[in-house]
Amino acid sequence: MRPDANESGLTAAGGPENRAARPRFNPTLSLSVLILLLISTVALAQQRFPPPDFESGHKLPLTTTPAGRAFIYEYVDVAVLAACIAISVFLIYRKRSRAGLVGLSLFSLAYFGFYRKGCVCAIGSVQNIALALFEPGYAVPVSVLAFFILPLAVSLFFGRSFCAGVCPHGALQDLVLLKPIKVPAWLEQALSTLPFIYLGAGVLLAGTGSAFLICQYDPFVPVFRLSGRALMVIAGVALLALGMFVGRPYCRFLCPYGALLKAGAMVSRWRVTVTPDNCTQCRLCETSCPFGALREPEEVQTTPSVLRQDRRRLAFLIALLPVLVLGCAWVGDFFSGAAAALNPTVSLADRLAAEKETPAKSGALSPDDLALDRARQNADEFLRNAEAIRKRITTGSRIFGGWVGLVIGLKLVGLSVHRRRKDYEPTPGDCLACARCFEFCPSELVRRGFPNGFASQPLDGSPLEPALK
Amino acid sequence: MRAVPAICQLRIASRAFGKTFSMRGPNTQFSRRRFLQSGFCGASLCVLGVSTAGSKAVGAGTPASQSNPLVYNVDQMTGIDPTLIQYEQVRAIPGVGAGSRRLAIGPEGRLYVAGRKGIRILETTGNPVGELPTSEPARCVAVAADGGVYAGTRTHIEVFSSKGEAVAKWEQPSPKTWLSGLSFSSSGLFAADSGNRVILRYDLEGKLVRKIGQKDPQRNIPGLIVPSPYLDVKVGADGLLRVNDPGRHRVDVFTAEGDLELSWGKPSLSIDGFCGCCNPVGLAPLPSGRWLTCEKGVPRVKIYSAEHALECVVAGPDLFVQNGRPGQVSDQPDGTLGGLDAVVDSKGVIYVLDLVAGDVRVMERKA
Amino acid sequence: MSPPSSNPNNPSRRQFLKDGARIAAAAGLGGLMGSIAMRSSAMNTVWQIDPQKCVRCGNCATHCVLEQSAVKCVHAYAICGYCQLCTGYFEPEPNDLNTGAENCLCPTAAIKRTFVEDPYFEYTIDERLCIGCAKCVEGCNRFGNGSLFLQVRHDRCVNCNECAISKVCAGDAFRRVPANAPYLLKTTSHGL
Repeated sequence: MRPDANESGLTAAGGPENRAARPRFNPTLSLSVLILLLISTVALAQQRFPPPDFESGHKLPLTTTPAGRAFIYEYVDVAVLAACIAISVFLIYRKRSRAGLVGLSLFSLAYFGFYRKGCVCAIGSVQNIALALFEPGYAVPVSVLAFFILPLAVSLFFGRSFCAGVCPHGALQDLVLLKPIKVPAWLEQALSTLPFIYLGAGVLLAGTGSAFLICQYDPFVPVFRLSGRALMVIAGVALLALGMFVGRPYCRFLCPYGALLKAGAMVSRWRVTVTPDNCTQCRLCETSCPFGALREPEEVQTTPSVLRQDRRRLAFLIALLPVLVLGCAWVGDFFSGAAAALNPTVSLADRLAAEKETPAKSGALSPDDLALDRARQNADEFLRNAEAIRKRITTGSRIFGGWVGLVIGLKLVGLSVHRRRKDYEPTPGDCLACARCFEFCPSELVRRGFPNGFASQPLDGSPLEPALK
Repeated sequence: MRAVPAICQLRIASRAFGKTFSMRGPNTQFSRRRFLQSGFCGASLCVLGVSTAGSKAVGAGTPASQSNPLVYNVDQMTGIDPTLIQYEQVRAIPGVGAGSRRLAIGPEGRLYVAGRKGIRILETTGNPVGELPTSEPARCVAVAADGGVYAGTRTHIEVFSSKGEAVAKWEQPSPKTWLSGLSFSSSGLFAADSGNRVILRYDLEGKLVRKIGQKDPQRNIPGLIVPSPYLDVKVGADGLLRVNDPGRHRVDVFTAEGDLELSWGKPSLSIDGFCGCCNPVGLAPLPSGRWLTCEKGVPRVKIYSAEHALECVVAGPDLFVQNGRPGQVSDQPDGTLGGLDAVVDSKGVIYVLDLVAGDVRVMERKA
Repeated sequence: MSPPSSNPNNPSRRQFLKDGARIAAAAGLGGLMGSIAMRSSAMNTVWQIDPQKCVRCGNCATHCVLEQSAVKCVHAYAICGYCQLCTGYFEPEPNDLNTGAENCLCPTAAIKRTFVEDPYFEYTIDERLCIGCAKCVEGCNRFGNGSLFLQVRHDRCVNCNECAISKVCAGDAFRRVPANAPYLLKTTSHGL
């Protein structure tokens, strides 16, 4: 009688046999492995059809099972990530050093980007978390969990320190930035809702097991891997070309993980400030931020009529919020078809339902027909399964629609809230903590022990004051 | 004068640069209407983007028109001239049981199917008559002239009386034994042992009389090549044994004493040869020295004349669609299992067992 | 650390809201992490092909994110029949049973055929050349014992979040397997 383990005619291998494939390492170990193998072959000899008897005594080679990257290195990755974030925080808040951050960016780009090929990355980890939340059978690797949690937890205290110099995607874009131009405020505000919508779409598709959209449409991983789909290679190069003039376009207008970090940074305990002590309103830093995160001081008009109007508008927008959410949820329903089509099971089930009556093709089949053939084997169960997934996707699409409505509504509300700001300061959500603005602040230069009284020294014989206005 | 530090110059230069490129300070005071307009445009753009991305991904996910450029294609080589096909399927007997391996026909005209639970006995109409359970899954079966049944499991032979009583259980001849074919004749019971690449000749008491087909240069026997457990043996009306030699793509003719008389058959995908690397897998005698052969991979049943020339085709791959796609059948625990077995009754009706579909096709000569 | 900028008018309320939100977010993150970590206390996983579900559709060669697919053909020698006419090695209708390119099935000549003894030949895969197209696997499975089969080779696989091939796999054969047993090798060809 066959033991159950061999019922499938398969063996999960890798550990011991892998070592046996290279038996020079450790004689005792390989001996024990040999004994183990001998026992297993005796057991298997009962079931396996005997190979030919070689009169020449030829020995059957073993199937090799080369090991993957040892899992200890995953923890190394996590340790490097933690160290990089710590260094980043240190460089931003303590050293206030742009040069240091550039160095860290270069390291991150080399390690997480070109050495680890952009995988595992915090941006993609969102999808693993989403899948784990909705698919009970899926276990998130510990390293992926760490990549998701660490930058987010840090953002609650130190803003987007991860974006500053740890994320390889950000580092790559940061390093190609040549001549930043200012994105018009209206466009900037409009585009800044995209990451949240992208995040919603990514979570919807990952959570329903349809696709890892964020990985599939990652523009920079093909750059790190130096290979990939033509579409994404072109997109990556185009984004980098754009990134020479528009600071970090992916981070600001697409990155779904950036959206999460932005939310974290909005309530962060400590924030990046341009000046190390007091703002003298010298406006030197005014143009320093290439990411449109630096806001000028703003005085709120306190005229009662204006105030009343503003309040009325705010109340209207807040009242609009649920309407917007519900309306968009209704619109989201129309997306469920497109989202379901992205799910391989559902799209195959659609084909199966359409061609259930047509007989199976004979001869050489295309991959598609093979898949159809496989689905046919257990058609009813397959269709039932697909229907369950489709239901989840429909619900998910509605939630996604509602989410889009919420994002737009909150954006409108946010734009209607007046923030009193007396200093030049970066908005905590948008600030990528790149440390560029620090060097623009005279107080910072003083802090760094810059020679006192430099302003009184004329430049090329002409008075300095007019140049600085 | 020259003492102005470089960093200060840099500051001033960059400020001038900023002015030149009209980098004004960020302004949050902008028209909300403009934002709404742009937001609407942005949203619709996003919708457009997502839907096109979606449709693209759909294209990537289900490559509807895409075919495999490196497909292993035997279609163009296995086409059968329709005039060669002289039989047609008149009916099928479904559900003879998963894991059925071999088929035999009794003197009373009943079908005996060796399967997972033992031997199933059926009328040729498909009516189940009885079952003879074996201790292990049955892999081959032979019926004696008196109606006694010999069931071969992987390791041994179990004997049943004509009334269906278990009579004897012969002992395993060798540790490597892997029985895959049985044939009864007046000179004894012949068992095809794929594991040892040999035909075992038993007397009716279960005593091993002789081993046939072993490599023996003195008797000019090259030895059977059996890569997989499909060795079959059938005794013809002439008393000679027909043994398939799947590794050589031919049929060997042995005397009951173990002398190799002759061999016939050639490897080829074309209809007159035996296809693939291990064929034929099943044999059945026909009147006047003609023989029926079964092949797997490209499942086909053919009839060879007494002169070993292809006479006609009974059934081609069209009749056994799943069988022609071995390993692509998910409910088979063994990915490669496939093949056919066939018997002929006294009226010349051919019964073909499809191992994958688990049914028996009843083939009659076309009118 | 720079002190947080605070609003002079209602510092306490803003600060309170911010602190509250932060604490809530931290608690939420902690809860999320806890609930997921409970589940991921299981083994680390890698991608692998179940050879018994593989239908040899050819997508492994074309859909891997790597330039040359991490999926390779591997050989379970113990199942192999060592046939002279190997349908995994030769074209379906070879002119001659020799190593001439016109007779060989593999598009990259990744299979090596060595003589063992009459009439047996051994077939080995050169993984540097193999592109994982499964043409030989189909030939071997269709006619032979199915000793050739596809496996994700973990010295090459980058263990993507979501394997690109798995989403297009016609046989739904890809699955995550525990990282300490990363291969699903065939051990029997003719079961039962």
